[in-house]
Amino acid sequence: MSTKTCKLVPFILLLAFPAILRAQELKLPPGVEKLASKAKETVEVNMDGPMLHWASKFLSAEDPEERKAAKLVANLKGIYVRSYEFSDEGAYSAADVEVVRAQFRSPEWSRVVGVRSERDGDNVDVFFKLENEKIAGIVIISAEAKELTFVNIIGPLEVDQLADLGGEFGIPKLKTKPQSSKPMAKADKGEQK
Amino acid sequence: MTETNKNPNLLEDALRNAVRREDAPEGFVLKVLARAEQQNSAANDAQRTSWLSLFSQPALRWSAVAAVTIAMAIGTIYYRNLQRQRAEGEAAKQQLMLALRIAGSKLQLAKEKVNEINTSRPEPQPQNSSPRSRS
Amino acid sequence: MPARSLADSTLDIAGVDFADLVRRYQSMVFSIAQHFLTETAAAEELAQDVFLQLHATLPTLKSEEHVKFWLRKVTAHRCIDFQRRRKLPQVSLDEAPEPMTPAQSSDPLVARRLQQFVASLPEKPRLIVILRYQEDMLPEDIAAVLAMPVATVKSHLQRSLALLRDKVTRTMGQVTI
Repeated sequence: MSTKTCKLVPFILLLAFPAILRAQELKLPPGVEKLASKAKETVEVNMDGPMLHWASKFLSAEDPEERKAAKLVANLKGIYVRSYEFSDEGAYSAADVEVVRAQFRSPEWSRVVGVRSERDGDNVDVFFKLENEKIAGIVIISAEAKELTFVNIIGPLEVDQLADLGGEFGIPKLKTKPQSSKPMAKADKGEQK
Repeated sequence: MTETNKNPNLLEDALRNAVRREDAPEGFVLKVLARAEQQNSAANDAQRTSWLSLFSQPALRWSAVAAVTIAMAIGTIYYRNLQRQRAEGEAAKQQLMLALRIAGSKLQLAKEKVNEINTSRPEPQPQNSSPRSRS
Repeated sequence: MPARSLADSTLDIAGVDFADLVRRYQSMVFSIAQHFLTETAAAEELAQDVFLQLHATLPTLKSEEHVKFWLRKVTAHRCIDFQRRRKLPQVSLDEAPEPMTPAQSSDPLVARRLQQFVASLPEKPRLIVILRYQEDMLPEDIAAVLAMPVATVKSHLQRSLALLRDKVTRTMGQVTI
């Protein structure tokens, strides 16, 4: 289904970069890039540092959510989102998603959350890149039955900033250190840093 | 002999088709405006001190008054431009908020999944600390 | 010197909005860069840089016609500089593969092949072909943009067309409308 029917169209500025973007850390394989033509709704956001800085000038100090957003993005170097919603299950390939996950199996990235749910087929991975006790990058890969989402936030971000935003934007109070006392469900422990 | 040799205009027509103008990528204008804004901020700081020192001369002061008057007269044109830029900025802001909401909702989903798994695990059974001896 | 005078002012440049100029000319600037460099990311970066330079230079430009001339000139020179700095690979005219079946001149395959052939021309002839057939510019105007004698422009154009015609004939056989 074309993105023309997407109800989010007024808010989507399809800043269509080529498949490999210069600044973002997440590289999508061609199989994923083509999903836009199959999805009933697509969200594509590509905002580098200058764009974020410019957009943040229009955030209102009167609105609590926008105020928090302004603080959050003040030092960010980029936010990139690709989200595809499908009418039916099985619209995307697990192998393609695994190719993306594999990019973050490196010493600089830590997988802080890795969930595989057989009950509803939802898989969620959250990766942090930590530098000097700050979050230098966040990658979220959410592979649900009818929705596939990739998020890349390039920092720096204070740990407290992310933690304090519990409730705002739905961002929970996350602990950045791996929860060694509670092993992750169906996660490869070798990937846990 | 090919058609292109018989009729040289065919090649030229084909060339016009091959190198015709294409649309710039989506969001091109916004990106340029964002970078121009950055450029402006950097330039303004440098210019401010040198501009102020000029106003000590009377001729320049009067010129400045004249310039301000003219600027006011064409101010409405720039106001319209500002309105348009504001609309574009609002759109960019909406995009930013959308991205943050999506990121937040997926982190929330991760948290819920972890909580689900933790609450569904059975409580570990207490182990006997020492075996019983038989008499 | 170009046939038309740049002093012919059709619009007071002071009243022109920069964003408006970007909207109006983004396709022109991007397309020149795209057809020259054949790399979309590089073309977009170059086009952005051209407009940033325009933003800084705008107060010195006298009319919209002047802006258009300036944009074409700066884009052309930046294309050449960009290529030399980046040493982008050129597909040799001889290396472009030959298709098996004859093609139509409006066929996308023909267009794609021609783009490759144009991209394999040397820098100045390539720009001349792009300005001639994308922008429909006269040789006199191309000469002004590229700061070359008109005779040189015409000579490059003639040789390039001959080269392209020969390649099209050899690789694509009969080209029909």
